[in-house]
Amino acid sequence: MTGAGTPPVTAREADARVAVEVKALQAGDRLEAARERFAELVGRHQRRGLRIAYHYLRNAADADEAVQDAFVKAYMHIGTFREELPFEVWFTRILINGCLDRLKSRKRRERWMAPLPLDAQGVERDLAEFAPSHGPSPEDQVLSGERRRQLMAALAKLPERQRMVFILSHFEGRTSREVSSMTGLNESTVRVHLFRAIRRLRALLAPSATNAVPGRGRSSRAAH
Amino acid sequence: MQYPDVGGAAVRLTDFVLRQGHLSEQALTEALLTGERPAHLDRCDLCAERAVVLGRWLDDVRRLGLEAADAVFTPERLQAQQAQILRRLEQVDQPARVISFPVQSRPAAFDASHRRLSPAWVGAAVAASLVAGVVGGRWSAQLEQANTGQALTPPRIEAPMDAGNAVGPQNVTFPDRDLEDLRLDGLMMLDEFTPTLTMTRVDRAGG
Repeated sequence: MTGAGTPPVTAREADARVAVEVKALQAGDRLEAARERFAELVGRHQRRGLRIAYHYLRNAADADEAVQDAFVKAYMHIGTFREELPFEVWFTRILINGCLDRLKSRKRRERWMAPLPLDAQGVERDLAEFAPSHGPSPEDQVLSGERRRQLMAALAKLPERQRMVFILSHFEGRTSREVSSMTGLNESTVRVHLFRAIRRLRALLAPSATNAVPGRGRSSRAAH
Repeated sequence: MQYPDVGGAAVRLTDFVLRQGHLSEQALTEALLTGERPAHLDRCDLCAERAVVLGRWLDDVRRLGLEAADAVFTPERLQAQQAQILRRLEQVDQPARVISFPVQSRPAAFDASHRRLSPAWVGAAVAASLVAGVVGGRWSAQLEQANTGQALTPPRIEAPMDAGNAVGPQNVTFPDRDLEDLRLDGLMMLDEFTPTLTMTRVDRAGG
């Protein structure tokens, strides 16, 4: 090392360090201290986990529960955590599996129960959305809310895998390799899913904004 | 499959053949997501413009997506969820309480005798009760029969001798002795072929 003092610790190293500490504390039966340390991990990954679960499940209450379950599961099985794998990837994998289970059980449940209220785009509306909220002006709220709703509706129309890959790659900024280890999909499959998701979303959200690929249509061919 | 470009950079053969060297949507998307800028973009204004439009669109979608999630999950909600997670972890860590049952919940009066009933005695009592019930039942039936005389004797029903196969299912419940009087024409032939006990005795005596 060239600089004086300790080198900066990356988020990945910090996570791994905390996870190892939690593991050791659990083994030493110092459970309260283990929980306190684990709370750090919760604070660091909670928002990210909620975004993933929310976009994947398209329901705030389900996402809330899925993230809770994932953290509890991670705490209970932290003994199986391997340091060579980033905690973030390990945790996301647990979360995704939980989300998949929830989707399956939701499909089973919907056969027997009335579904949640749907908006114009056919997206499940969370009951919390009906409550009055505080924030920017009502006009801005309506406009941005409408655009968000359109995006959510378009995301809902994507196949499950495409949606998951798109969320992890684009919203969370993960590389194809990271998404591959999080989802268990092949790296090239991840890239294909990502491209298809983007193409489909562009068609759904802004058909007029989609650039015609030169040389595809007769008109563009003629232009060249 | 790649094709060497004049400028030194490589473009896909399909791009070269089908799109006159312009980048496909996939190539453009990959270039934007991976950050590896193809040399073609420096020379082609059209593809550069497409890349800008696509990049803006991707940024916009990302911003909207994050906003959508963050609008739902406010800091208060995150805090509440964190507290809930910690409560659940506490429950996980607490060892399960074992409720002693039934020793502690047994009533004191019942416990005071300190006697335990042997299962053998219980079995013997059940058997004795069964025997007493059966004997008592038979004795009571005999007593009743003696009082009522012939009341228990079922009425004798004459089976029709002449009518062929006149015995119907309604007559099936005859007492055994009445069955000797039954004549079923359909079975008579079979009966004649079958040696009876008396015939066997006669044969033996004769032989």
